[in-house]
Amino acid sequence: MHYRTEILAHKDDGRAHHIEKILHDMDIRASAWVVDVYSSESAAAAKDIFTKSLANPITQKINETPADFDWALEIGFLAGVTDNVGHTTSELLELATGSAVECYSSRLYLIKGDAKLSDIEQLSAIISNKLIQRISIKSHEQYERDGGMDKIIPKVGLENKNITTDNVDLDISDDELKDLSKYGIANKDGSKRGPLGLPLPYLKAIQSYFKSEGREATDIEIETLAQTWSEHCKHTIFASPIDDIAKGLYKGYIQRATKEIRKSRGENDICVSVFSDNAGGIIFDEDHLITDKVETHNSPSALDPFGGAITGIVGVNRDCIGFGMGAKPVVNRYGFCLADPRSKPNYFRDKSCTDALLPPSNIMNGVIAGVEAGGNCSGIPTPSGFVYFDDRFAGKPLVFVGTIGLIPRVINGKAGHEKCAQAGDKIIVAGGRVGADGIHGATFSSVALDEGSPATAVQIGDPITQKKMSDAIIKEIRDFGWYSAITDNGAGGLSSSVGEMAEGSGGFHLELEKVPLKYAGLSPWEIWISESQERMTFAVPPENTDKMIGLFAKRGVEATVIGTYTDSGRAKISWNDEIIMDLDMDFLHDGNPETPLSTTFTRGGEVEPDIAEPDSYENILTAMLGRLNICSKEFIATQYDHNVQGSAVLAPLQGKGRVYGEVSVTRPLLTSPKGVVLSQGLFPRYSDIDTKAMAAAGLDMAVRNAVAAGVDFNQLALLDNFCWCSSDEPERLGQLKRAVEVIYELAVKYQTPFISGKDSMFNDFKGYNENGEAIKISAPPTLLVSSIGIMTNVENSISIAPKAAGDSVYLLGATKDELGASEYYDELGHLGNNVPETDAHQNLRLYKLYARASRDRLISSAMAVGYGGLGVTLAKKTIAGGFGLDIDLSGFDLRSDKMLFSESTGRIVATVSPQNKKAFEKNFKGFEECHYIGSVAYSKNLFIRSVLKVGVKVLDEAYKATLRDY
Amino acid sequence: MAAKVIVLSGYGLNCEEETLHAFNHVGIDGNIIHINELIENPKALDEYQILAIPGGFSYGDDTGSGNAFAQKMKLALWDDLKKFVERDTLTIGICNGCQILVNLGLAPALNNYGERDVAVTYNATARYQCRWVDLKIESKSPWLKDIETLHIPVAHGEGRFMMEENALSKLKNNGQIAAQYINTNGTLANGEFPANPNGSINDIAAMTDKSGRVLAIMPHPERGMFTWQRDDYHELKDAAQRAGVELPEESEGIQIFKNAVKYFA
Repeated sequence: MHYRTEILAHKDDGRAHHIEKILHDMDIRASAWVVDVYSSESAAAAKDIFTKSLANPITQKINETPADFDWALEIGFLAGVTDNVGHTTSELLELATGSAVECYSSRLYLIKGDAKLSDIEQLSAIISNKLIQRISIKSHEQYERDGGMDKIIPKVGLENKNITTDNVDLDISDDELKDLSKYGIANKDGSKRGPLGLPLPYLKAIQSYFKSEGREATDIEIETLAQTWSEHCKHTIFASPIDDIAKGLYKGYIQRATKEIRKSRGENDICVSVFSDNAGGIIFDEDHLITDKVETHNSPSALDPFGGAITGIVGVNRDCIGFGMGAKPVVNRYGFCLADPRSKPNYFRDKSCTDALLPPSNIMNGVIAGVEAGGNCSGIPTPSGFVYFDDRFAGKPLVFVGTIGLIPRVINGKAGHEKCAQAGDKIIVAGGRVGADGIHGATFSSVALDEGSPATAVQIGDPITQKKMSDAIIKEIRDFGWYSAITDNGAGGLSSSVGEMAEGSGGFHLELEKVPLKYAGLSPWEIWISESQERMTFAVPPENTDKMIGLFAKRGVEATVIGTYTDSGRAKISWNDEIIMDLDMDFLHDGNPETPLSTTFTRGGEVEPDIAEPDSYENILTAMLGRLNICSKEFIATQYDHNVQGSAVLAPLQGKGRVYGEVSVTRPLLTSPKGVVLSQGLFPRYSDIDTKAMAAAGLDMAVRNAVAAGVDFNQLALLDNFCWCSSDEPERLGQLKRAVEVIYELAVKYQTPFISGKDSMFNDFKGYNENGEAIKISAPPTLLVSSIGIMTNVENSISIAPKAAGDSVYLLGATKDELGASEYYDELGHLGNNVPETDAHQNLRLYKLYARASRDRLISSAMAVGYGGLGVTLAKKTIAGGFGLDIDLSGFDLRSDKMLFSESTGRIVATVSPQNKKAFEKNFKGFEECHYIGSVAYSKNLFIRSVLKVGVKVLDEAYKATLRDY
Repeated sequence: MAAKVIVLSGYGLNCEEETLHAFNHVGIDGNIIHINELIENPKALDEYQILAIPGGFSYGDDTGSGNAFAQKMKLALWDDLKKFVERDTLTIGICNGCQILVNLGLAPALNNYGERDVAVTYNATARYQCRWVDLKIESKSPWLKDIETLHIPVAHGEGRFMMEENALSKLKNNGQIAAQYINTNGTLANGEFPANPNGSINDIAAMTDKSGRVLAIMPHPERGMFTWQRDDYHELKDAAQRAGVELPEESEGIQIFKNAVKYFA
C-alpha cells in the first residue's frame, strides 16, 4: 500500500509567493498553495502520531486540499536520488511509531490563475530539473477525476541478481581499445557502462600488465585503473614532461616555487603540510595550523547546478576533515564563473535539438542555492567569494568551493598533520551509504561534456548526515587517538580513498560485500567506484574498532569494518570470499606511462583601438558600475551565513553602503585575537590576449586584496586552481605553460608559497546550436589564485569604507595605458591589446611598505584596484562610506578615461586620517608611486575635478540595480 | 551554588561552541551535551540550572525548522524537560533553538507547556537572510533585564512568527513579546524588509513563556557579544583610534548572558 500525507501550508507562505513571482514574471496572474507531501509504504505512516508530527497546526493543515485551483504541479525525486527530507521523515516515522520503513518527500503546488498547460510546464522547468526529478501536472478536472495526484513511491527497483564480476577481454585491437575507453565496458545486454577516459598508451600498458599476469582482467580492475589514472585524480597534464621541462609543470614550477621559498625563508617558513594531503596547512599560532583547499565542481554543476554545488561544498568540507588527523572546518569560500543570467542562449546536447542546456539563470540560481544549503546547514561561515561573468561559461560553468580548517599542531602527543595507515589496521568507512549516484564522476570530469554525459555522475550532498559524522570525528573521536589515518571519499569513492591510504601500509584487502548499501542490486565495480557522499575512510588498529563504531552509533552515524590494510604489495578485493581484484600496488599507482606533451603559443588580441573620449563621464561610470563583474552581489552575501561560529570580523558587505568586498577577515578562535585573511583573484578575459597577463594579474590581485586588508605580508600563502579548456591541443597547453611560468616567478618574488591546488582541464561543451550545427564552447583559460594569510591582531584589519570627511586619499602604485581586455574596453565592444603587465619588483616594494603602515594602524580605509580600474574603486569607496570624495587626477599623464578605467595591477587606494597623514607619508618616503589625489569630502558627491561629479545615491543605484531582483 | 549550563548539540545544531563561550565569558560553567546523551541520561538535567538550545540546522530544517528535533525531544525527553522548566531554571533557545522551543510548546505556552500556539515559518522573502538587525526590548524576562535595545544579527530562512489574532493579543497582554524588530530610528519595522527581515507578525523577534524564564529568540546574541563581531566594527574602531580611547571588548549581545548570572546571584 501507498500512504501519502499532504501538509497544506497557509496561503501567505513565502514559498508560495516565490512561485507567484515566477508566474508574474511570465505575465501570469496566479496564486499558489504549497503542499509538502510525504509518502511511504508503511501503514504506520497513516497514524496520527506520525502525521501530526509533520505539521504545525497554526500554519499547516493535514490532508486538506483547497477546492479552488486550476492546476496541480507535483515535483519529487527520481528513484535513487538523495532525498534529504525523505530521510528525516523516515527518522520521524521510526521515532514516532517504531516502523523503520523509508519515506519519500515531494512538493505539490496548487495554482489558481489564467495559466495554460504550457505555462505550468514552463514553471516546472524553472523550479525543477528533469535529470533528477519527476514532474506530474494535472488540471483540476483531471485531479478530481483521479481522486488526487498519483501515489508514487520512488523506490529503487534493482534486483539482486546473483551479482558478480565480469571478465574483460583485452586481447583486442587498438581501435577496439579506444572504443572501450570511450563507451566503457559492455554489459551482457550490449549496453555500455560509460566512459573510462583512458588514453591509448594507458590502455596498452594495462593490456600488457594482464598479459604478464597471465590472466584476463575483471571489470572492477579496469574501472579501478581508470579511476586511479584519470586526469581528475592523477593530474597527468601537470605531471607529464612538457616541451623541454622534463619534470612537468607541477614539479618544475609550482611545487618548485614552494620548495625554493621554504628554503630561502628558513626559520621563518610558514608551511607545514603542502601538496601532500587533502588540503595545505600553514602555521596559525603556536598551537594550531590553518588549512585551506579550493576545489572545482564544474561538470556536475552544468547538469544539476544545485546538486553539483552542494556536493562540491560538502565535498571540500571533507577535504578539511580529512586533513592530517582531521581539521575543523572554520570558513567556506565560493566562486562562480557563469554566463549572463539575463541571456537565453539556445544550445543543445543533441543534433535534433531536444536536449537543451539549462538556461544561465537556472544555473546561477542553482549553484548559489547549492552552496547556501551545504554551507549554512553545516554551520560553517561563508564570508568570502566572487562571481565572474562571461558568456563562454554557458556550456560549463566553473564552480569553485573551498574550506579553511583549524587543527591542533599536536594531538595526543603526535603531530596533528601526520598520519599513516599501518599493516593490520582495519579499514572502516563511516557516514552515508553507497548507491549508484556519482558513478564515473572522476572519469567524467576529465572529458568534455556532450550527449553521452552520464546523469548518474550527479549526486546531491546531504549536509546533515555529514554534520553528524564531522562532529563525531572532529569534536570527539579524533582526540581519543583511535585511528592511524583518515581520508575522505571524493572522486573515485572507495577506490581512491582506500587506494591512497594503502600506500602508507603497502597494500589492502577489502571485503566488498561488507560495504553498507542504500539499496540492493549494485555490482561490485559500482560499489567500489561510487561517489556517494558523506563518507570518510579510516585506518584503525583492531583493538579500537569496537569502541569507535560504538561511539559513532551513539551519534547517529553508521560505521563499518570493510577490510584490512596489509603490507602485501597487492591491492586485493574479495566479494563473498571470491577474489575479484588483485593488482600490484606499484602498477596501480605508478603504472601509467609518461606521455610527453608539446606546446605552441600565439599571442591573441587586436590592435589597440582608437576610441573617442566619452561624452559623459557620469554616464560611462554608472554604466561601468552596473556591469555584471562590477555590480553588487549582495543578494548572494545575505543568503550565506557569514557569522556562524561567531568569528566574522570583516564580512562580505562593507560600510553602511554595503559594498560587496573581495576579502574577508575571520577570528577562528574566540580566545585569540589572531585573524585569517582570505581573498582571491582571477581575470579570465585577459587570456584572450595573453594567459601570462591573466595569471599574473590573478595572483597579484589575490595577494594585493589581502595586503590592502592588513594581512601580515610574511604570513601569506596561495592556492592555485587552473580551469582550462581543450587541454589536448598544443596551443592551449602553450597558454598553460606561460601561465604556470609566470606564477612561479611571482610567487617566488613575493615569497608567497603555493600550499594546495587543483585543476580541471576540459571545460568545453560540445553540442549543437538551434540549427543543429555542431558547436564547441570553451571556457576562457582561467586561473583562480586564492590567498590565505594571518593577521596578528584583527585590530589591524582595514575595510574599504572611508571613515571621516577631511581624510586624505592616496593612490598607491602606477597607472599605465593598460586597458586590453579590460571591463571598459568590453563595455565599448573592444578587446584591445595592451593587457596589464605585472611589475612584481615594483609591487613588492609597495606591499612591504604598506604592510608596515597597516601594522602601525596608519590607514583608515583601503581597497585594491581591480575590475573597472580607479574610477570604479573610487565609486565603490564612495558608496561604502557614504562620504563624497574630492579627487584631482590632473597630475597624471593619461587621458581621463584611461586614467579612470585602466586595470594596471599593483594599485591600492587608501584613506588616511589627519593625525596619521605625516606618519603615512613618511612611511612611503622614497616610493615614487605614492600619490596624494584628494580628500574625503563633506559633500555627498564623487567629484573628480574637470571630469565628473556624481551623487552617492546615483552611484549606489547604478551599483545595486543590475542583480537586485535575483 | 553557581549556576551551570547545558548547551545541546547534535543532528545539525551548530552554534554550541560559541554559545557555551558566551556563558563561560560571563563566568558560567557548563557542558555541551549531545541530545542522544541527554536522552540516555535525562537525570543530568537535575544538575543544571540553565538549558541552552543553540542555533543550527537540526535535521536540515526538513519538515519545518526545529520540528523534527522538537518531535525527538518530545517523544524521548518530555517529562524531564517539563520538570526542568517548571523548576526555578532558565531556558534559552536561539534561532534553531527558538524554533525548537516553539515546536515543543515551551514558548510561548499560552495555556500549558507542550501546546504549540505559534509557528515560526518561511521568511516572507522565501530566502535565507543573514544580516544585522535592531531590536526593541520590552520584557520582564530575567534574560532581558535592563536591556532596551539590541544590535545583533539574524541568520535564518524560517524566522517568521505567525499566529492567530487571539494568540497575539494574549501574548501582548501577558507581556510575552520579548523583542521586536525596529528601524534604525527606533520606530517599529512595521513588517517592512529589511528592518524586519522575515515578515514576522507584529515585528516579533523573540518571545517568552508566561514566567519569562524561557526565552525563544530568533536573532543571535552570541554573534554580537564582542565589539569585533559587529558589522560596524571598523567604523567604531576607527573612531576610537581618532578619539584616543580604548574600544570596549564587549558588545550588546553579552548582556543576555550576564543577566543569567544576575538571576542566580
